[in-house]
Amino acid sequence: MKPTLRMASLLRIFLLVATAACLAPPAARAQLQIQITSGVNNPVPIAIVPFAEAPTDGTDVAGVVQHDLVGSGRFTELPRDKMPATPTSAADVKFGDWKAAGSDYVVVGQVVPVAGGQLAVDFNLLNDLTGQSIARQRFVGTPTALRNAAHRVSDVIYQAITGIRGAFATRIAYIAVAGAGADERFQLVVADADGYNQHLILESRFPLMSPAWSPDGQWLSYVSFENHLSAVYVQRVLTGQRTRVSMRAGINGAPAWSPDGKKLALTLSGNSGHPEIYVLELATQHLTRITDSPSINTEAAWSPDGRFIYFTSDRAGEPQIYRCAATPGSNPERITFTDEYNAGPHVSPDGKLLAMVTRDDSGSYRIAVQNLASGEFRMLTPGRLDQSPSFAPNSAAIMYAARPGQAEEGVLATISVDGLTGLSLRPTQGEVRDPAWGPFIQ
Amino acid sequence: MSVVLHGSLIALLALGWWHFRQTAAPPSVPINATVVDAHTLKGVGTASTPSPQQKAPPQAQPLPAPVEGPPPPTPDEVAMREQAAKEEAEHQEQAEKAEEARQAQRKAAEAAAAEQAAEAQKAEEAQAAEQARKLAAAKKAAAKLAAKKKLEAERKLAEEKKLAAQQAAAERAARVADLQQSLQEDERATEASGALSSWQSEITSRIQNAWNRPPTAQPGIKCVLNVGLVQGGSVTSVSIGDCNGDDAVRQSIQTAVYNASPLPPPPDGIPFPHQLIITFQPTH
Repeated sequence: MKPTLRMASLLRIFLLVATAACLAPPAARAQLQIQITSGVNNPVPIAIVPFAEAPTDGTDVAGVVQHDLVGSGRFTELPRDKMPATPTSAADVKFGDWKAAGSDYVVVGQVVPVAGGQLAVDFNLLNDLTGQSIARQRFVGTPTALRNAAHRVSDVIYQAITGIRGAFATRIAYIAVAGAGADERFQLVVADADGYNQHLILESRFPLMSPAWSPDGQWLSYVSFENHLSAVYVQRVLTGQRTRVSMRAGINGAPAWSPDGKKLALTLSGNSGHPEIYVLELATQHLTRITDSPSINTEAAWSPDGRFIYFTSDRAGEPQIYRCAATPGSNPERITFTDEYNAGPHVSPDGKLLAMVTRDDSGSYRIAVQNLASGEFRMLTPGRLDQSPSFAPNSAAIMYAARPGQAEEGVLATISVDGLTGLSLRPTQGEVRDPAWGPFIQ
Repeated sequence: MSVVLHGSLIALLALGWWHFRQTAAPPSVPINATVVDAHTLKGVGTASTPSPQQKAPPQAQPLPAPVEGPPPPTPDEVAMREQAAKEEAEHQEQAEKAEEARQAQRKAAEAAAAEQAAEAQKAEEAQAAEQARKLAAAKKAAAKLAAKKKLEAERKLAEEKKLAAQQAAAERAARVADLQQSLQEDERATEASGALSSWQSEITSRIQNAWNRPPTAQPGIKCVLNVGLVQGGSVTSVSIGDCNGDDAVRQSIQTAVYNASPLPPPPDGIPFPHQLIITFQPTH
């Protein structure tokens, strides 16, 4: 007992002396070791100072950037009325003032006219604590592309601070329903990821459904009920040129582009009456049947490596998500086990998460994600009627269709995959549904 | 400060112990010395001191050889004889005189010799006496020395015993004091290390709360920061050392450290570190 005590005491004294030696004043450089193993997951405070702007259409570049960043859930803005100054270049920034105002980072910039009637957007991202410039860049474009330039600024800032590639300068496709009764129109719309800059791609008196982007972002595939019969089309976004790729007997639905862009996975029922997953080779029209069971098999989604297809099946009674090799005769494996209803799979571009619509115990339909490696299941959205999850190309957010509250009309919403924040996009007119988030634009 | 004091105390104790060892060793030496001296003395008595019995007797002078008597004289010879006798008488007289002289000389020589011998004997005796006296004196001195030494040894032994007892007592006391001190040191060390670790954890939690972790700061990321501080805890510089994180991770940890500034002051007795090595290594 005593020797142990003595030993411990000696050891402690030794350690203390050693520590004292380390801490010994000026001559020996005093040091202290600290180990940090965790942190917090809070939005990063950032001040986007209004840009010095040339006369434009009134686009508030700083405002667009702020909307992008705050909407991602990873940033919180310093309101303009709390800003200590309005510098437009790094030279004018007085470091320390911004931290005092509650912001770690400051973005300053200018929009200046350049040759050919174009505009240049210059910005500089500064760390107020270190006084360093983290990122600065110039984007040049036509005056009408000013919003796009602002999204590109957002992308750079987002990546500099989160380490993840920004996906603000991307596009989405969705279906809008305008009018009612005899005037009801179905529209295929392409817009910027923030919902602005909408372009009508197709309008029809008959229902349009399930738009899907080709991996290169040049094409859209969708289901149209023209003439009361379902058919799958592919359409070139820029020109409107379109091709009907499947109008077989029964159901033609749920197209999904293979990652190489050469094939479409489809849901076809043929004459049997129960839908199965097929793969259609676009160049040859060669059709391969993937699933074969006397149940519903639909809503195919490719794994990013193109080797697997995830789909919804009610073969076990309630709809659940299964996975099988993208080749004929493979044996499907059940993937989801949480809750009694899981449908509408979508795999994140990084291959890590599976998003789906799940029905919780209260009967509410919500968007959830499951970690494909660990099986961890996480509920993301509040419900009650959330549908059609679609991953951003950076895998950091999901866009989905929602009917918040008692609202009759659907809206589009985004949520970060960690569930941090949700952002509702403004619907244009009437109901909005079936969002599809497009790929990165090169 | 107290730590240094403790350290030096320990050192002093160790030194004292060592010193004690060195001064405690000698006592056995005088005992050995006494024994060695006695031996030496004994050796001197048997081998070196000259003994009177052994002294050789003085050499005697050689005596003269005896002379034979003369034959009877004839008539012719009477004169002759007379002459001869006369001559003889003269001769004899001369001889006698010579003899006498010789005898006197001899006697003188003998006397001288005797005197010399007596003197020699006397001297010898005196020498022997002197030797004996010296021996006796030496023996007496030796005995006295031995007695003295014995006494001395006894005294020393007693002294040593006393000293040993004192030392033992002192040692015991020191041990008790040491134990008490070590207990106190234990307490103080516990106190100090407790204060140090609570301060460290205070800094740690402050920085962790300030670290807005980007999604790319995943387990496997390890970044070392070298942070310069000034009195008062304000961060004056942050430089990134080994780091396998991306730019966002680097940015976030730098920002975290500046946001945690000023860091809390150290507890009493611990000097403010002018350099902080922070390792960011997310575990989950």
